[in-house]
Amino acid sequence: MNFIETKDVVKQYDGHLALDRVSINVPQGCVFGLLGPNGAGKTSLIRILNMITRADSGEVLFDGHPLHEKDIANIGYLPEERGLYRKMKVADHIMYIARLRGMRSNDARDAMRKWLERFDLTQWAGKKIEALSKGMAQKVQFISTVIHSPKLLIFDEPFSGFDPVNTELLKKEILHLHDEGATIIFSTHNMASVEEVCEEFALINRSRVVLDGKVSEVRRRFSKKLYKVDIADTMKFDPVDGLFSIEHTQPSPFGGITADIRLAATVTMHDAVAYINDRYALTAFHELLPSMNEIFIETVSSNNHQSASHND
Amino acid sequence: MTNNLSRIAIIARHEFLAIAGKKSFIVMTILVPLISLACIGLPYVMMQFNKGDVETVAVVDESGRYGKAITDNDEFRFHDITPIASDGGGELHEFYQQQEGLYAIVIIPADVDSSLTVDIFSENAVRMGLQRHVAQCLGDTITQSLIASYHIPQLDKIIADSHVEVSPNCVKWSDNGEESRSDAELASVIGLILAFLTYMFVMMYGAMILTSVVEEKTNRIIEVMVSCCKPIELLLGKIIGVGFVGIAQIAIWCVFLGVISAIFGIGSVVSNPDLLAQQAQIASTLDTDTADIVGTISQSLASINLAGIAICFVLYFIGGYLLYGSMFAAAGSTVDQPNEGSQATVPMMMFLVLALWAGIACMDNPDGGLAWWCSMIPFTSPVVMMVRLPYDVPLWEIALSIAILLGSALGIAFVAAKIYRKGILLYGKKFSWKNIAAWLK
Repeated sequence: MNFIETKDVVKQYDGHLALDRVSINVPQGCVFGLLGPNGAGKTSLIRILNMITRADSGEVLFDGHPLHEKDIANIGYLPEERGLYRKMKVADHIMYIARLRGMRSNDARDAMRKWLERFDLTQWAGKKIEALSKGMAQKVQFISTVIHSPKLLIFDEPFSGFDPVNTELLKKEILHLHDEGATIIFSTHNMASVEEVCEEFALINRSRVVLDGKVSEVRRRFSKKLYKVDIADTMKFDPVDGLFSIEHTQPSPFGGITADIRLAATVTMHDAVAYINDRYALTAFHELLPSMNEIFIETVSSNNHQSASHND
Repeated sequence: MTNNLSRIAIIARHEFLAIAGKKSFIVMTILVPLISLACIGLPYVMMQFNKGDVETVAVVDESGRYGKAITDNDEFRFHDITPIASDGGGELHEFYQQQEGLYAIVIIPADVDSSLTVDIFSENAVRMGLQRHVAQCLGDTITQSLIASYHIPQLDKIIADSHVEVSPNCVKWSDNGEESRSDAELASVIGLILAFLTYMFVMMYGAMILTSVVEEKTNRIIEVMVSCCKPIELLLGKIIGVGFVGIAQIAIWCVFLGVISAIFGIGSVVSNPDLLAQQAQIASTLDTDTADIVGTISQSLASINLAGIAICFVLYFIGGYLLYGSMFAAAGSTVDQPNEGSQATVPMMMFLVLALWAGIACMDNPDGGLAWWCSMIPFTSPVVMMVRLPYDVPLWEIALSIAILLGSALGIAFVAAKIYRKGILLYGKKFSWKNIAAWLK
């Protein structure tokens, strides 16, 4: 079941179409990647999911019902441009946001205590935010986002500006929240993190969803029939017409040869393995799936090319 | 609905504490009246310091008649040195330098009766006090001798008696012919004070709203905020929170005023109209100048409906604050950088200054056309009506004006909320009326 989904959402700003019939489906408990180049419409969509703005047309369903104001209490949002009230004390700041998200004072205080301990910030609770280091301020932002244990978490470029130590910490906490059942949306153009954590994604380019689905399936779909072959022999490894061509070979550090081969259109992996295994001492054979980064660039540039020629 | 209200309350509380919780706020609230008192009292204190020692002044009387006219006072001692000066015939400057501690030399010329001038020499800049004193003493004496030169018996008394001043005694009729004293001067002073207070408060608290909006936008907390609450809730929370700051501040000042009045023993009189009238009666039976003045003021105060004015002041203040406060908020939302804030406030400042000028202009004719229209137009009415109130404005006019003010304040707040909603999330776009017109669609 989808925890949140949009159906044909359209949003227009000052004559510019920011979202053009955008439909996404985020299953319950999924880590969902919202991808796209800058200015594609990611933030516009996120603002609609957060009820910061309304769609001009289309529908947003939250946990099966049309998105309603009271759902705000079940959403946590960490925007890309995230600020803090610098003059406020850490504890006051967290409490303020938690109370606005609909938490009772006592619950908010308990949850805050737990999170401050978790992030080693307890002794900073009474300090003003302007006295904090950047890393600590980022932790405060994160706590403010998750304090009300939302069922849906939306992170817009969560790792930008984080140092590697905090990035790891954050990733760990996000995955922990996921384990506890939260549905998570990542908006990012950092493809490495998508492959690492996202199960599903939607790629938005020029206000439209141009590609979506399960990460593993899409990578398979974009398969270029490239395989990595390791053989123990040191003899010459030759391409075979009608079966496979060789993109690249090099001596393996463990002896033998390692090669990237591309299968011909009608050839199956089974055929190729059988053929090579007959003639060489085959030690490894596995598919080289395209990275999300390659898929991203390929899709976006072909899409841009199409719409450019379409416009002509 | 309860959710919205509780969020507005949370925001209002936050805004209130963000300003009133600061030490600087408490210090300023207490310091401002003290500083204003100091500003009033300081010149007097400084004058006391400035008095310094008694100076010696030499007088050379070439006319031979007015040497004794200049008498000693607190600041100056005068010595007639005419014989020495005429004997020596030497340079006055030398004489001046020889006499240690001599401040100045006054020379009364022989033809002082006709030339009406007198020379003062000194190495110092001659004090105003000395100039005034010499002019006064000589002027009086010469006047006396001129009057005497007509040889008319008791001419000086005749002149004194014929110098009269007429004071208008204004009585205001109510519809059924009841008479009450109306004192234009006192009424205009009260009106002006109230108008100025409204002007100052609206500007001060409007600027606080602006600062708060600009701060949220420029430090980018706004995106988090609007994901937790509606922009209109944020806007209302801000206006209410800052409004409470104003109430707290005014309350502190009222306590201050109460303490000061208690010390001077006038508090009980001002707060009770019956007592005022009594006071006036008592005062009028006393036959001293001070009692007379106190009596007049008390009587005039009694003629002015203080409670009514206070209620109107509060209503106009709320309306004006809501009207201008939401405009300040809308202006703040169009600003990207903290230092652009003042630029965006220009329209509001213009309206407010205009209102104050209109108010001052209306003092002269509080029932005139300008006054009437300006007390109906919502942008000027909170200030201008304050000027008119002490002059017994008909109730229907007040009611109409307040209705227009509150109605348009709500209207403006609604429009401002629309601008605010769009403005806070928009960065890098220059302020333009075209944009704003598009947002309002």
